Parts: sequence; structure tokens; C-alpha cells
Amino acid sequence: MFKKILQSLSKSQQAKAQAPARPSGPLPVAPSSGAGLLSKVVPVAGAPATPRTPEELCEITPKMPRDQVAARLKLLYRRYNRGASSLDPKVRAEADRMLDAIVVVREKVFGEI
Amino acid sequence: MAEFVGIDLGTTLSGLAYLKPDGNPEIVPNADGERLTPSVVFFDGHEDVKLVGSAARDGGEPDRTIFQIKRHMDDPEHLVEIDGRKWTPAEISALILAKLKRDCSRIIGDINEVVITVPANFNELARKSTIAAAEMAGMKVRRLVNEPTAAAVYYAHSQGVQGRILVYDLGGGTLDVTILEVQGDGIRILTSEGARHLGGSNFDELLLDAYAEQYSRQTGARLWTDERHRRRILQATEDAKKMLSKLQRVNDTVSNDQNNGIARIDLTRDGFETMVRHMLTRTVMLVEQALDSAKLKAAEIDHVVLVGGSTRIPKVKQVLEKMFGQAPKSCGNVDECVALGAALFAKKSARIQEVCNASYGTLAMVYNARTGEEKLMNSIVIPKNTPIPCSKTQVYQTSEDNERVIEVDITQGEDEDPRYVDIIGRITLEVPPNRPKGCEVAVTFSYDENQRVRALVVDKQSGRSREVAVSYKGAGVLSEEDLKKKTVSLRQMRIE
Repeated sequence: MFKKILQSLSKSQQAKAQAPARPSGPLPVAPSSGAGLLSKVVPVAGAPATPRTPEELCEITPKMPRDQVAARLKLLYRRYNRGASSLDPKVRAEADRMLDAIVVVREKVFGEI
Repeated sequence: MAEFVGIDLGTTLSGLAYLKPDGNPEIVPNADGERLTPSVVFFDGHEDVKLVGSAARDGGEPDRTIFQIKRHMDDPEHLVEIDGRKWTPAEISALILAKLKRDCSRIIGDINEVVITVPANFNELARKSTIAAAEMAGMKVRRLVNEPTAAAVYYAHSQGVQGRILVYDLGGGTLDVTILEVQGDGIRILTSEGARHLGGSNFDELLLDAYAEQYSRQTGARLWTDERHRRRILQATEDAKKMLSKLQRVNDTVSNDQNNGIARIDLTRDGFETMVRHMLTRTVMLVEQALDSAKLKAAEIDHVVLVGGSTRIPKVKQVLEKMFGQAPKSCGNVDECVALGAALFAKKSARIQEVCNASYGTLAMVYNARTGEEKLMNSIVIPKNTPIPCSKTQVYQTSEDNERVIEVDITQGEDEDPRYVDIIGRITLEVPPNRPKGCEVAVTFSYDENQRVRALVVDKQSGRSREVAVSYKGAGVLSEEDLKKKTVSLRQMRIE
């Protein structure tokens, strides 16, 4: 189904430049049922500009089922645990902030370890 | 001459072990009579001598003392300047290795080839830097092996166990979780996950905050005003942490360096566990990630093995017991088993199947033929957990007419979103002009036993190709020429 096309440098750089800056919150994830590979990652334009609570940072809504929350936190943990060892201090700081938020949400939803 | 030698080059402690004629590994003490050597280097200003170990940790001036250099092994720009001379992380590590080699050679004879352990999630640069450090110290690296793998090898050897083992390695600076399977005499690694900057030293820093808060509350003054005093208090917090693993309540008295009086510090195990709870939750999430990666459930793990000094914290054991429904087992001396396992690995490496610790791929526009959408994505060529050594090829097509130069980014990471992976290299290949888009290009990644990556790009129409090993540039990266010079220079240094 998927055809991979090698990215030329010019187009690659252009595409990267056009891509929104790393958002203050994570990327939203579309529902998994029936979603294709591409639809898992959607543009971040709709992401809140200044998320405040851990739930907002993790984009967890009050009505989200527990299994969706768990899947969401797993995805975010994998992503930001990697970011926590980045050489870029900004990426590292953002990753630490997100990991803190992930842990807080996890404790609220699933209880303390 | 010792034939099978393993070295645990740790964030806070390092150790060397060798395989005795009876096939059992043993730790070799350093010349100070210690089984493990603190990974600390002090550059003396009066005599041209580099102190390594306890003397460096306990007595040196802070601005001439280097702690935890391992945390910077993956930073191409990190340099330490002492008396106008700049030292790379590999050079500082070489001093620690040189001390181990010189001291231990007096007991077991010449040490020429070694296995060195590294955290499972060490990247290419950090691995390369470790090999360079060993070369500067006069040792050839037979293999690098991941720390939890080494610990598991020792555990399997010493306990004679079979089945699936999860190794939880919480050291001074990092957490590694590895799942492996022991069948007969063979060991197959299933997955390794790691978290950097998550270890005992992070717990010490939290206790340091508690000390500072209690001191300030009682005296109205700051607990420290200079780095030397802060380090002394930090050492005290580490001692308190160790006591809290055995006692429910610990008291300490501290003073600052300005004669503002003495304060009594009161710590409880409950309070400490509250302080570190969020960090321990992160470790639990890493364990869950490892189980997911290996497509296993907690109930399918036969043994949970503890490695690293921080696993002495009772809460760590409680959390893992709750998670797995079985008490985790200690890997003998949790501080020494990595070095002991490395010595065993030196002999048994042929019977140990390791895996690729990360996914490697390239950036590509991925076109969905059904929806017509296309998006820039991380296209994985070698998935994480592929048995190594390995080589895999993915064929792509050029996306523009008359492309003259094909540039292939080498990515490291599992995320399909390019923003969340690292670009660790790039290959440029010139191709003939006037070709339409859609020409096929084969991208091959190879991954060797030391977990280092090579990439090959072949333009299928013209047959032109280019192959590179992932390499790094930066002030803290030594060239081959530099490496030779530093090796000669280091051999002439006085290292105690």
C-alpha cells in the first residue's frame, strides 16, 4: 500500500523547514481503529498554545477510556524518554517537563506505584 | 597474561574482572586495595599527576576534579579544560581505564584485550569514544557489551537458571532494562531499553535539596556557597541514602562553610520514597516499554534480576515484586556483577545473540496509494531488536526529475515522526543528469557486534554507490591522528 519515495535534500530541508516547530505539547494521535499509517500523525496546528495541566500537556481528556489513556502515555513516554537524553538542552528540558506530566497523569488515572 | 578480561566502566564506579582457570570470574582489586574504583579523576596542580579513584573523589579541588564523565561520552562538543589543556570525555575515561589496567596488571599479568560494558542505550558516538578511550589506555577492545547483558550472563552462570530473565539495572547514572532468554548454554537477548540521567545520583540530588531545605529552615542560612562544600554534602547524602536502605530513620548533622551553625537533618525512609516516587514511576514505565518491545507480559518473565547499587533501595524491590508477582533476585553483588559478566562474556560471546538497540532508517516521503497523501516520515530499515550482526536493504525512488545529488539522512529512533528521531549521519551520492523521478535507490544499513552502524547507498540504474560508517565531528571528537598522539602522551603520564 505504501510507496516509499526517497527524499531529495532540497525537498527534505524544505519540508522540515515548513514543518511546525516542535510543539509545546505532544502530537495528537488519531483513534487507532481504521487509521492508516499516515493518519497516526496529524498536523499540530490545533495543539493548544499554552497547555497548563499535566492532562493538557498529555492531551488526555476526562472522558478518554483508560486503555486509550494507557496507550497514549506509553507513546509519549517512549517519545520523551528518548528526548531526555538529547544533547539539545531545550529538547531535554521539554522532555523532562513531559515526563513529569506523564507520571502525574499516570498516578491520577492508575494510582501510585 | 590474562586472556579473558572484562571492564565495567561505570558512571560512578568502575571495576575489572578476569576469568580464572576454573572458568569463574573474579574482581581484581586496584592498587589502593579496592575492588571497585570511583570513576573520578583529579588533575593535581602541584605535581604532574592524575589521581583516579577514591583519592580523587574525596580530596580534590572541585574545579580540578572530574565526576561522571561517562554522562558526556555522547556529546561531540564536550571538553574539560584544566590548566589551559582541553580534555575530551574519551581522554578522561582513558585515564580511568589506564589506572585499572596498570593496577590490575600487577596481579593478573598483562592486559591487552578486553570486553568493556556500556549502557544499552549508548549511541554510536559514545560507543566509539569508549573504544577510543581503551585504545589510549593501551588496550584493544575485543567487544563492547551492554551492561545488563553482562549482568545477565553472570547471573545465568552463577545461578544456573534457564528461561526468560528481565534485568533491571539501576546504576549511578542510568537505568537499563533488558529481557533475554537462556536456553542451554545459549543466551538470546530479546530487547534492551534505557533511560539516561536516571540513577542513584539523581536520588542524591533530591536528598541534597532536602538537606539544604532543612538547614535553611533551622539556621536561616544557605548550606553551601561553593562547589567544594556542595560536593561534601552530596557525599553525605549518598551515605544517608545507603543507610535509608537499611533503616527507617536516619539523622545527620551538617554545617555550612560560613560558620552559620549546625543543623540536625532528619530523614525517614517514607520521606525518601516520596521524594523518588516519580523517578521510580519512570523506571516502571521503562520496564513496561521493554515488555511491549519483546511482546511479553509480566507473567511470562521467569526471573527478575536486580543490578546496580540503586536496586538496594527497598522500594525498588517492592515495586518490581508488585509488578511481576515474584520477588526480584539480586545478581550477587549488584555493584560487581557487570564486570564479572563482562569477563565471562569475553569467553562466551559466540553463544550470546544480541540485538540492535535502536531502529535505523532514513527520511522519506511515504506515499499512501489509497488516499493519495504523502508525508515526510522516518522510514525504518533496520527495526530495533533485530538480531546482530545484521544488514537490511530498503529500496526507495527518487522524487524529482533530473536529481543530480541524492542525499540520504541516517536516522536513529523508532518514532515515525521525523521530529522525534536523531539524524546521525548523511550520505551524498552524485548521479547522472537528465533522469526522470522514480529511479530506484537501494539503501542498506549494516549493524556490527559492537552496535556500530554502516550505511550503503546504491543507485540501481547507474550502479554508483557510496558507503560510510557513521562518524561524528565536534570539538570533543578525536581524529585518528589525534588518537595516536594522545595514546603516546597518555602512556607517559603519571596516573595514580
